[in-house]
Amino acid sequence: TPRNATPEIPRRIQAAQEPASVLEEARLRLHVSAIPESLPCREEEFQDIYNFVESKLIDGTGGCMYISGVPGTGKTATVHEVIRCLQQAAEDEELPPFQFVEINGMKLTDPHQAYVQILEFLTGQKVTAAHAAVLLAKLFSTPGPKRKTTVLVVDELDLLWTRKQNVMYNLFDWPTQKHSKLIILAIANTMDLPERIMMNRVASRLGLTRMSFQPYTYKQLQQIVSSRLKGVKAFEEDAVQLVSRKVAALSGDARRCLDICRRATEICEFARQNRTPEIVRMAHVTEAIDEMFSSPYVNAIRNASLHEQIFLKAILAEFRRAGVEEATVQQIYHHFVALCRVEGLQSPTVSEIMAICSRLGACRLLLVEATNKYLHMRVRLNLSQDDVLYALREE
Amino acid sequence: MRPTTRPSSARAPASLREPRIQPMKPSAVSKRKLKESSAESAESISQVQKILRERFCHHCAAGKLFGMEQQYRHLLELLKRTTVHGESNSALIIGPRGSGKTTLLNHVLKDLREMKQVRENLLEVHLNGKAPVQSDVQKGKKLCKAGKGGKFLVGEKDNCQLFMRNPFLSGLLQTNDKVALKEITRQLQLENVVGDKVFGSFAENLAFLLEALRKGDRTSSCPILFVLDEFDLFVHHKNQTLLYNLFDISQSAQTPVTVIGLTCRQDILELLEKRVKSRFSHRQIYLMNSFDFKQYIKIFKKQLSLPDEFPDESFAQKWNNNVQHLSEDKTVQDVLQKLFHHTKDLRSLHLLLMLAGSAVTVHHPLLTAADLQEASRQHSTDCKANIVHGLSVLEICLIIAMKHLNEVYDGEPFNFQMVYNEFQKFIQRKAHSMYNFEKPVVMKAFEHLLQLELVQPLERPSVRAQREYLLMKLLLDSSQIMEALQVYPNCPTDVKQWAASSLSWL
Repeated sequence: TPRNATPEIPRRIQAAQEPASVLEEARLRLHVSAIPESLPCREEEFQDIYNFVESKLIDGTGGCMYISGVPGTGKTATVHEVIRCLQQAAEDEELPPFQFVEINGMKLTDPHQAYVQILEFLTGQKVTAAHAAVLLAKLFSTPGPKRKTTVLVVDELDLLWTRKQNVMYNLFDWPTQKHSKLIILAIANTMDLPERIMMNRVASRLGLTRMSFQPYTYKQLQQIVSSRLKGVKAFEEDAVQLVSRKVAALSGDARRCLDICRRATEICEFARQNRTPEIVRMAHVTEAIDEMFSSPYVNAIRNASLHEQIFLKAILAEFRRAGVEEATVQQIYHHFVALCRVEGLQSPTVSEIMAICSRLGACRLLLVEATNKYLHMRVRLNLSQDDVLYALREE
Repeated sequence: MRPTTRPSSARAPASLREPRIQPMKPSAVSKRKLKESSAESAESISQVQKILRERFCHHCAAGKLFGMEQQYRHLLELLKRTTVHGESNSALIIGPRGSGKTTLLNHVLKDLREMKQVRENLLEVHLNGKAPVQSDVQKGKKLCKAGKGGKFLVGEKDNCQLFMRNPFLSGLLQTNDKVALKEITRQLQLENVVGDKVFGSFAENLAFLLEALRKGDRTSSCPILFVLDEFDLFVHHKNQTLLYNLFDISQSAQTPVTVIGLTCRQDILELLEKRVKSRFSHRQIYLMNSFDFKQYIKIFKKQLSLPDEFPDESFAQKWNNNVQHLSEDKTVQDVLQKLFHHTKDLRSLHLLLMLAGSAVTVHHPLLTAADLQEASRQHSTDCKANIVHGLSVLEICLIIAMKHLNEVYDGEPFNFQMVYNEFQKFIQRKAHSMYNFEKPVVMKAFEHLLQLELVQPLERPSVRAQREYLLMKLLLDSSQIMEALQVYPNCPTDVKQWAASSLSWL
């Protein structure tokens, strides 16, 4: 194994093109990765976290903070911004210097790999997980006079759960030790995670310093989009408002809002004729929203072949007859033959019916059992009967 | 080879049968000429077979796309932006099986490769599928080296811009994240790859890959396209680690990546974990087979006709005229209509045309409506009924007994003893003694039915349960049994009568 390999993706020969038009510029700024210098609408949370870490740094003690919130509410971005500001302050010698380590539960193959990564960040050693745990415990429990404070950010905390919870226990136990000088910022999605999955002794070490990020309201989303588009006239004011209101009503996820806006710029670009500059209007945004949020089932049923549609009708007929939302293929087959007779079609053979059934099962319009039961295979609808009726009726 | 007894071609109109006689005409002229012309037509016939086979069996990207212009444009623009601007994206292509998801992607990739590279090396245009990925990479590396050497034409420099790697991942091959990760590292030719081997443990590989990707940025690193075939299978990996990481990279300021997933499941977004779902850009491209029957006929014509560059022009014209005739023929339209009602996916059309096309020989150079009818008949036979045709009379009798049990007891499961009793009643009251077999023989017949999976045990057969008393279910519908009996060769009359009425033995 090449021990000292430097991981790198080859560079491109010609530099990437810079945005040429207003819409391209807007698209670049609206990309989720283009995180702005200061996050709008998260000033309060920023200040809270900043104060917490700053006070611990000045005191030279350790501590934990638990940050929760649904995805896309700016948790990780805010924490990163706090760290950036603190590093700036440390460089200006307003604060004592500190080390910054980050691990992400999702980027580990196993919870115990957390030890390996932390140790590698701190000392550059590459050892096994068990050994790393011992070394870290020694590192944090013995007093080192010249040791810098360490700020550890643990993202996706819930994935560090193991049956014995020893990884979580150790992580939250180190800061309580006198000489560790460790500050932990733990990030996860659910607010009640400590109560739900952690043992009492782990939850108690995590402490009560908690913060929860609320989903963005439509005004905040609107502000986020317009702050990114500052100086670029690419969007109608109302269009941004529509997107914000829709997203805020559904989830309050800023990523979704930015993605829809980005898609709307593409649609606008498709729609415009000869290079006249165009701004994104209501129609484009509506189309983008429909594209991203609409349910695919109805469209799938409308584009199904005739016999597949009749099969769905036969299922509905059988459900109505039996009053139960589950039927075997044999029962459906009898309705199918009857329906074909009414329509004046030649009814397909049982093999073909089975093929139809498994095709509908493959695209998950139906939920079906394993096919080796043949005619006694049980079938359910994966969507409501009303949706099927709606899709079949409008012709 | 064609069967000697062809289904009556008399059904085909005279105009269609005519061309079949044509190649025979030269025989009147001279023997040498006949030899020449037959050799020539044999040449073209084999050409035709080759073209059709390539079209239907290999699903090559050369064919035209039907009814997906919008989706094509969307995907092309997306990938173009990835290469030109270094923009990270993610998208899902969703559509039922056989709706052309891979074809669409291959088309886009092909056109994309042509766009900038066509000026310099034409060699690369022919690349497709999985193998070229490697040579693409090597070519790129060579170009990079040449670029460092200093002597480099401006035109050539342009071409390197599109030097993009595309690891193809299939959920069927990469069954867990470990394998998938090794495959990605191998195809990217990172430094921990020596030859075709990837070094390091799973955790090291992941850390290495993420580190490599983290170092890149939008403007200077080479964009990477990830294609995840059978995307729904990746969803079932532990914690969805791979998907989370790929989507996370596409949403953060690292090496530009585009993740394209192909799947046939409509509920795919409900399978993603919420943090993975939040990172996915919700760009969905639906392929729905949304054409009607008129377009279907057009597709049929397009798929069957020969290209303009066919060597024997007169034959190609004759063939294409014949295809045109076929598409207007009523019986052919009926065949196609039937298939169209059954399924809209183009793969079954290909199968039908392949079956029909295999009938083309030197003596029968042009397709007829009868060929298509025969193919359609083969295509739509009921396989269970075919099994019933091959059964002995005793086994048929047992199936009829089971059918009666099903009717009397309304589909309740039965065991061998009940079936045997029912059969005994038939023999004692109605039939002649010629079917009076010993019980072990009947048991043997019953076990044969079990092996053919015409009956199925209700629960797993345990060691303790006796064979006679295992509860079973019949896997045939009564209509299937009656239809099969109609065509069963030499079926005794009393058995037929017994089948018709469950009360006849009274």
